Amino acid sequence: MDEEIKNMNFEQSITALEELVNKLESGSLDLDQSLELYERATALRDRCRKILEESERRVKKITETAQGVVESELKFE
Amino acid sequence: MVETLTVTQLNTRVKSILTESDLVKDIWIIGEISNLTRAVSGHYYFTLKDGSGELRSVMFKGSRGRIDFEPTENMKVKIFGKVDLYVPRGTYQFIVETMERSGIGELYLEYEKLKKKLQSEGLFDDSRKKKLPLYPRTVGVVTSETGAVIHDILTTSEKLFPADIILAPSKVQGEGAAESIVRGIELLNKIGVDVMIVGRGGGSIEDLWSFNEEIVARAIAASEVPIISAVGHESDVTIADMVADARAPTPTGAAKMALPDREYLGDLVRGYEYTASVALQRKLDIMKSKIDTVSVKLDPRRKLEEIGMLELRIDGLSNRAGAGLKSTVQNMRSRFNAVESKISPAAAANRVGGLKESLTSFSERLVLAVGRIMKDSHSRAEALGKRADALNPLGVLKRGYSYVTDADGNTLTSVKTLSKGSVIDVRFRDGSAEAEVKKVNNNG
Repeated sequence: MDEEIKNMNFEQSITALEELVNKLESGSLDLDQSLELYERATALRDRCRKILEESERRVKKITETAQGVVESELKFE
Repeated sequence: MVETLTVTQLNTRVKSILTESDLVKDIWIIGEISNLTRAVSGHYYFTLKDGSGELRSVMFKGSRGRIDFEPTENMKVKIFGKVDLYVPRGTYQFIVETMERSGIGELYLEYEKLKKKLQSEGLFDDSRKKKLPLYPRTVGVVTSETGAVIHDILTTSEKLFPADIILAPSKVQGEGAAESIVRGIELLNKIGVDVMIVGRGGGSIEDLWSFNEEIVARAIAASEVPIISAVGHESDVTIADMVADARAPTPTGAAKMALPDREYLGDLVRGYEYTASVALQRKLDIMKSKIDTVSVKLDPRRKLEEIGMLELRIDGLSNRAGAGLKSTVQNMRSRFNAVESKISPAAAANRVGGLKESLTSFSERLVLAVGRIMKDSHSRAEALGKRADALNPLGVLKRGYSYVTDADGNTLTSVKTLSKGSVIDVRFRDGSAEAEVKKVNNNG
């Protein structure tokens, strides 16, 4: 997966994926271009999946004190 | 004579004085509920307070059915009933027969007034509401740390798009709640979250009141971050709900409004993947059929094997393309290019041109050959002529052509064999004419 895709967030990668798929569907490309787009679409799909499946969300609370904004862990069952 | 009584006798006597007096029965008392307990028996015990006094009160289980709301702490009420004395303790209490909420009218007027004011300022207009982000990475929550709201949001969002949840704990009812909510909204704006949920669970109109206060409405309107409100039950519409960019019926609903469903997104990605595969497959099918057509025209026997190989390659690619095998794709591409250059339109045209030429010379040769055969066997020529109707020399002769032989009957194909004075036979469909060459014009 190229560096550019690796750094994309979900919105960027799914938007790019959607555009590629629309281009592929339009059918005006030659085989070489189609294969290239398909390859990129595959990389974008992998990026989307990675974000959906591997992201670890953080849960915390913030309070404002005389010392400024304090972050702490939020426990919940 | 001075009377001497037992405690119980006195208490009983006071009780009868109190219960017989019309002054303390069938009356309404106004106050605020405090120290509320609901006994296992179903009776409600509480102290009704005003600014300076307290009244021990009890509402027996049997009277509960007469009221359509649940009495809660700090609720302003009007209670109806009578005074009684509890003999074992010698304390007096008010027996509540029914109860009404009071102060609601004033709150309602206040609510209507603020609603009108903010409405005229355009604070509820759809045009100024911010769009919620599609895929937020951080969700801020302004609510109580211990309430059901944050719990529901955390639980629900586990199955949603992965985003960080940041709580700004706030007081959501009673003294100072409105200010606390405003601070939470401002704090989350300061640290910068993508979307915010502001809310609390259900309760009485007094409990929800901070969400009807002007400073909260203005803080929501001023927020840079889009805000989803989730206040009370769906039937309680607060001013905060009207100013918020979106209103959720419950905290769970708010979480779902803030974050897309993870499974849905998975399906969406799979859908794009499928569409891309289908588009590529279609492209490959079209190329395959083009190759089939062109190649078969060119040289069926030699090309078929090549085409077969190519088809295998293409099928293999189509099947494996889903796995994203880069090397296969590249290998396929270069192989395809190699084959394609052999069968490019220009190459194809050359090849077809060549075939045409050889076909033309072949039919010419056939005409002449048939001419020779005719000399020996007219019937055999006829048979051949039937087989190659278009090339039948008799047919050709019928259309007005003739052919030329030398004196010995050999067909002449070139002017080079002739010279001035040569004797030739011009053969027509129905006979021949002997002729002498007067002049030879050589085109070659």
